[in-house]
Amino acid sequence: MEMSWARHTSIWFRKGSIILLLLILGGFAQLNAQVQTCKIKDGKIIIELSRQLDKEAIDIFVDKYDLYDLPLKEVLQGKLIDSLKKLGWVIERSLPDLLVISKKLSGYEKAYNPADRILMTDIGRSTAERFPAVSNAVVYGYNRFRNKNSFSLVDSTVTFYLRNNLNASQVFLAGSFNDWKPGRLAMQRTDSGWIARVKLAPGKYWYKFIIDGRWTIDTDNQLTENDGQGNINSVYYRPNCVFVLRGNEKRNRVFVYGSFNRWRPRELEMIRKDDAWILPMYLLEGTHTYRFYSEGFSFTDPDNPDRFPNEFNDYNSVVRIGKPYLFRLEGFQDAQKVMLIGSFNGWRNYELKMVKKNGGWEIMYNLGPGNYEYKYIIDGREVSDPANAQQKNIPGHSGNSFFVLKPNYTFRLKGFENAKSVFLAGDFNNWSPNTFTMKKEGGEWVLQVHLMPGKRLYKFVVDGKWILDPANKLWEENEHGTGNSVLWVE
Amino acid sequence: MRLKRRCKYYLFLIVALILGSSYGTPTEVPDSHARDLPLPANLRFNSYPDPAISFDSSTAALRFFRAGNLILLKAKADTTEGYFILDTGAPYLILNMTYFRDYPSISFSEDGEQGGITGAVTAYAPTKLEKFSLGPFHYHNIHADRINLGHIESVKGVKIFGLLGLQLFKKFEMIIDYETNTIYLHLISKKEAKTYKSEMLKDATSHYILPFVIQEHKMMVKATFGTKSLTFIIDTGAESNVIDSRLPNSILEAITVSRRVTLRGNGGAGVEALYGDISDLKIGDIPLGKLPVLVTNLEKMCSAYNTSCLDGMLGFDFLSQHKIGFNFVNRKMYIWK
Repeated sequence: MEMSWARHTSIWFRKGSIILLLLILGGFAQLNAQVQTCKIKDGKIIIELSRQLDKEAIDIFVDKYDLYDLPLKEVLQGKLIDSLKKLGWVIERSLPDLLVISKKLSGYEKAYNPADRILMTDIGRSTAERFPAVSNAVVYGYNRFRNKNSFSLVDSTVTFYLRNNLNASQVFLAGSFNDWKPGRLAMQRTDSGWIARVKLAPGKYWYKFIIDGRWTIDTDNQLTENDGQGNINSVYYRPNCVFVLRGNEKRNRVFVYGSFNRWRPRELEMIRKDDAWILPMYLLEGTHTYRFYSEGFSFTDPDNPDRFPNEFNDYNSVVRIGKPYLFRLEGFQDAQKVMLIGSFNGWRNYELKMVKKNGGWEIMYNLGPGNYEYKYIIDGREVSDPANAQQKNIPGHSGNSFFVLKPNYTFRLKGFENAKSVFLAGDFNNWSPNTFTMKKEGGEWVLQVHLMPGKRLYKFVVDGKWILDPANKLWEENEHGTGNSVLWVE
Repeated sequence: MRLKRRCKYYLFLIVALILGSSYGTPTEVPDSHARDLPLPANLRFNSYPDPAISFDSSTAALRFFRAGNLILLKAKADTTEGYFILDTGAPYLILNMTYFRDYPSISFSEDGEQGGITGAVTAYAPTKLEKFSLGPFHYHNIHADRINLGHIESVKGVKIFGLLGLQLFKKFEMIIDYETNTIYLHLISKKEAKTYKSEMLKDATSHYILPFVIQEHKMMVKATFGTKSLTFIIDTGAESNVIDSRLPNSILEAITVSRRVTLRGNGGAGVEALYGDISDLKIGDIPLGKLPVLVTNLEKMCSAYNTSCLDGMLGFDFLSQHKIGFNFVNRKMYIWK
């Protein structure tokens, strides 16, 4: 009897051990199912990821740690391992349910210039800092308010709204739109706060409320910026487009992403309003492509028929802001397919298909001010625009055509009267030595271009020889030891 | 001649040590502490004589402008006026070559003596200004190196005429208030050397006092992590705090990584680093709470202008947490509570 009890106990112990082992293993599997860490050890970045993570969890991880260049989804499935290794990563452990990869933190190779030390620590951190304070080159922006809706926009009139403060006797609105004049724009009292109407063109603005003489930021607005002079201001983007996704009420979160935010899928979250997901945004003048993202899936805008083919044999939806320009290629009636490529669309050769029309080929494309290069692809053959005399000068080849929209600066080079050709090259045209042809006017060579505000570097190329601007005292050293002229554009 | 100068130097050291030991606060660590700090052997600076300083007022409150988290102060170099970066990580005045190209280069012999004007441009093209003015303070016959600072300008989109390095502030008390974008400077006279304290420091309970050390033009401070001792450079030219990835795992494991970053700058093309928060770091008895840090390998950061090859740097993310002050004469740091 005792023996039997003992055997029973032993069997139960054994069974118990197995169950315990299973529970432990199950627990580990459960743990591994959730593993997603990024840490530092032995001077290396260590990434641990469970192979059971779903697509959305991986997207969230990639977004959180800014790992967009790593093909993590594929690597977890055992693919693209070589691509990962080429980026300097090492597979530390590859288990059926867990992957551990690492990369040594190498640091700077050299740091002789104090600029290196200073710039090393400039890591551009917050979202607010991604939108530079003084720049016309802001590509996109969106408002984030709490406790109240974004300011209403009717036609071009924005109604600024200050919640509460009903005991105040006087409230003014001041901002970059009225030169910060404190007494110019009185707000009107309503039953819930104060309002002021301002007509604004699309763009980025800074503002503050002055409540009984006291300057204050808009505490309901989550976007603020330091103006560099000790003042924190609220930021408002006057939108010029609204992304709308109707229905989809069962989705928890929906994002819009596109060429404007470098295709970061989880940055721009849409708001659920009535029967749709919406996001009003400011977008820089031009043509942008976009998609929606929700719970690991990416899809085009079902209500927008305007779309371009993308590199995955799928499509991206298109939003066009500002003035459309017609690209027209005369003739070529026998051609089967004509495409437009250019600096404005990153030279993607699958995107802009031209339509046969009125004895030529046409496509409308929206562009903002700038300097652009382009070409046509006629049945697979790249040609410059025969109707545009301005083109890259490559002897024996068809160079890129170029044009300038809304020029705001004129470069002049005096002398060199016997030169056969003079080109302008700079950081604004990728230092192309044979694209921006200068024209001889009297005793000088002249070219009008569009330049963004800030510091610009340039040189002239006179009969193939690169020279500094002799009329400009400012130049700085370059990697070739030959220097570049420096120009500050206001 | 050289022997005589050396004797003078030792005499000065002895006097300084005697004077230095005659005053102190309970939180102060003796100056000998400074000599224990490690300093890489390969650091070589030009050794420039301290310039003579005249002033319209010995005290000034200077408003500063910010480019990102860098402090820009308006200053005038002879006739050229513009913004300079306050950079305690730099040894002395550094001028942006772009705006001071026409100045003659001056060569120096090894012991730091001026050797006269030469046609050759050395790596850092030393030169001399007749007058350099910062607010009411005027530096006369001041030596400076000229370097291309174009990369900072391009990234920040602001004209940068130079860097205000440590030597300029050797005789000052400096209080930085990031909230009001103001720097308070006081030129400490010889008479005031032992006793001077800003009015802002009169309430002894309002702030902590900690010692720092200056060696080879670098401000260094001792920090502790558990039982481990670390040396950090105080660097107003650093927008983030930095910690060396070669430190022991016990320290690295205390860092909660928040994201990966790619470093900028000429030497940083494609260099990856991590950004996160470190807990349990202390300076003196002051716990620094959750301190944001950039983690990178500082092995190759040792050079004349970049001595970050110590354990790391304390930059804006540390300096801006509270009002902070430095007395460069008696080498005390004030951190407001």
